[in-house]
Amino acid sequence: MLKYIGRRLIISLPELLIISLMIFLIMYAAPGDFLDQYRLDPSVSPQRLKAMEEEFGLNKPAIVQYLTWLKNVLKGNLGYSFYYRRPVSTLIWERVAATLILSLISLASSWILGIALGVFTALKKYSIGDKIMTFLAFGFVAIPEFFLGLVLLYFAAKTGWFPISGMKSVYYSSLSTWERFKDILWHLILPATALSLGSFAGLMRYMRGSLLDVLNEDYVVFARAKGMPERVVIFKHAMRNAINPMITFLGFSISGLLGGALFVENVFGWPGMGRLVYQALIQQDMYIVMASGLISAVLLVAGNLVADILLALVDPRVRLS
Amino acid sequence: MTETNNNNQKIEFEEKYLTRGQLIWRAFLRHRPGVIALCILIAMYILAIFADFFSPYNPIEQSLKHTYSPPTRIHRTYKSVKTKPYVLPMISYVDKVTYERTYKEMLFPSKLVLEKPDGSIVTYELGKDGVESFKFSVNSIESIKIDGQWYDVKKSPRTTDYFLFGYNDETLSKGLSRVETTSAVAQEMYFKSYSSKFGLTSEYQIEAVAVTESLDTIVVKKDGKFEMLKAKVIDYDYKTYPVKWFIRSWNGKLLWLFPMNIHLFGVENYDNNQYVKLFILGSDLYGRDVWSRIVFASRISLSIGIIGMIITFAFALLFGGISGYYGGLIDEGLMRFAEIIMSIPGFYLMIMLRAMLPLDLPSTQIYILLVFILSFIGWAGTSRVIRGMVLSIRQREFVEAAVAIGLPNSKVLARHVLPNTATYLIVNATLRIPGYILGEAGLSFLGLGIREPYASWGLMLAQAQDVYIMTKAPWLLIPGIFIFITVISFNFVGDALRDALDPRSLG
Repeated sequence: MLKYIGRRLIISLPELLIISLMIFLIMYAAPGDFLDQYRLDPSVSPQRLKAMEEEFGLNKPAIVQYLTWLKNVLKGNLGYSFYYRRPVSTLIWERVAATLILSLISLASSWILGIALGVFTALKKYSIGDKIMTFLAFGFVAIPEFFLGLVLLYFAAKTGWFPISGMKSVYYSSLSTWERFKDILWHLILPATALSLGSFAGLMRYMRGSLLDVLNEDYVVFARAKGMPERVVIFKHAMRNAINPMITFLGFSISGLLGGALFVENVFGWPGMGRLVYQALIQQDMYIVMASGLISAVLLVAGNLVADILLALVDPRVRLS
Repeated sequence: MTETNNNNQKIEFEEKYLTRGQLIWRAFLRHRPGVIALCILIAMYILAIFADFFSPYNPIEQSLKHTYSPPTRIHRTYKSVKTKPYVLPMISYVDKVTYERTYKEMLFPSKLVLEKPDGSIVTYELGKDGVESFKFSVNSIESIKIDGQWYDVKKSPRTTDYFLFGYNDETLSKGLSRVETTSAVAQEMYFKSYSSKFGLTSEYQIEAVAVTESLDTIVVKKDGKFEMLKAKVIDYDYKTYPVKWFIRSWNGKLLWLFPMNIHLFGVENYDNNQYVKLFILGSDLYGRDVWSRIVFASRISLSIGIIGMIITFAFALLFGGISGYYGGLIDEGLMRFAEIIMSIPGFYLMIMLRAMLPLDLPSTQIYILLVFILSFIGWAGTSRVIRGMVLSIRQREFVEAAVAIGLPNSKVLARHVLPNTATYLIVNATLRIPGYILGEAGLSFLGLGIREPYASWGLMLAQAQDVYIMTKAPWLLIPGIFIFITVISFNFVGDALRDALDPRSLG
């Protein structure tokens, strides 16, 4: 097992390298750079511009810039944000918590909801409940995330039941720990709903299809024939097989943990990674973009690895080698 | 017995004499939601192709008098008598008393029946007997209520040529109108102005604020001369603007080419009144018609899906086909490249590619750019599937036969291998189009796609991002509903196609 994990990690290294190089090249090929806004500003002298170019290393050839960045990353230094004038790692670190709270909660809720409803609709195939859920699933898949966010925002503004923006109330610092927790949770409900409604529908359809396939298998018929209670047939025999393809899906979900909430963060003013990266892209704050690209690529590799390991744990037919 | 017999005969007949296309079509028709969705899509495409015809206004024409105007009310009764549909002029009116901005319908008198002080009755009608215009001088008195007692604080005469329905129209009909309010803003404003005069200490001492208007003089311009009348209005008519089908208005281009100025519906603005607009779905920040913009934006969303999909599939067929058919190093290289593209999260890659290119391009160039960016991202996944299919088709006998009779590789690939992926491609293409539509909408929403003044559904939604604006003008959210309907329709049609193209369902 450990050997397998080690080998997978080694294989993924060149992939990460190429991804980082690609992101760098895209950013480098983009017209202009971060200093453009200063070049247009007459109050910034040419000498100062030159000094800044020197400081950020923008006057060096591309390959040197990339290699310097790579060297620093290997040392654990993700670079320096031009705009915020702070190390990228601290900037990202500040945002990671906010994004993780949001995306983990919506990941959990969409998976629980998706699998539960998927099993329900598969067992009650063609019933009214199944038809309604199928229709809802089609609907939620088709709503753009940002539109769902806007509609929820409208709902919040009209009813006044939920806060409309941000992650904490203005009076957050004066609250006790328990109240702080409640405050964040209260702010979290709408963005998490917007995020999970979009993804639960797909999961539900997938789970339904997968379970329906399994329910037609001989071993399920056999288990029923020998008189096993239906509960055991479904949860011990059918479910364990139906869940396998879902695990591969989970790997993809993990890779989207940090960057997947871009729209929802933008609509709800959630201070997360998505917004940081979006602003960095607009301002051509290169190292933030590079770092976040690298992190999401690492997450993708990690997600696939976790999915494979989980699959091996759940399904005895799969062996890691 | 005979019925089953008949049925069997029917099936036999159908299997024998119906073409494959007919069988597929029949299977498709059996899928009810798919058929409905297809009809909706056809309607949408007709809307997009003949956008100029369906838009009552030029989508980029601004009307600064109509910022965030709500959907125009279409009246069907005139003075409680049923008439043909008409609209009234609208004005964004900041209430003098409550300081709230609301849209009010305007009363432009067109006919006045007046009782003069000497008891004689005269009728003036615009356009008749040389009557050119009406003006009214009105006395307006602002008063505040303190301790249950009303005090007049300000008298101001003004002249106007219109009144507002539900606000001061009684000035005309009854000679006197009165608006009262207890709003906090009004209390504050009047407290600021008059606290010292009345010795007030708190704004809550002002219990209410009122504006009373009375009609003073009516000025009638007749044959170039002005007549000043102090008279009582007995009866009046006001201007209405009929809503009509097939009306001539702005100059559009049918099918991008032929100039034409007939539009499906519109309001007949016979005296070029700038307050008269027919916004069936309201207007936006710049007073542009939301419906017309939605119609024009549909051109972008509906075409970007199809064009993007065609480009994607062209690339996917080329690369997937080549790497599946030839294998070896080409296969390795192409597939590793596809994997890398797939491993960068889609939307990041999209934004990054967009950021790589200059932001301020003309809209047509941005459109082409978006198409290519979206296709570039979709290409990798489809290539891999096609490669897999080609790998399995390559093993089949008919391909071996084609190779054996000496066809060149390119011909085998193009004539025998790739056509067999068509079923998958058609279904996959329909199900993928929504991805492009959502991608474009997302980019435009973030301000990276289509730019003002041109319209795209995502860009229009971006205007609704501000919570304050969204609650004041919820109709700005309507483009989202159009995105939703388009996407869900493509999904249903794709689903129906998948069922219809499944060989098992053709029976």
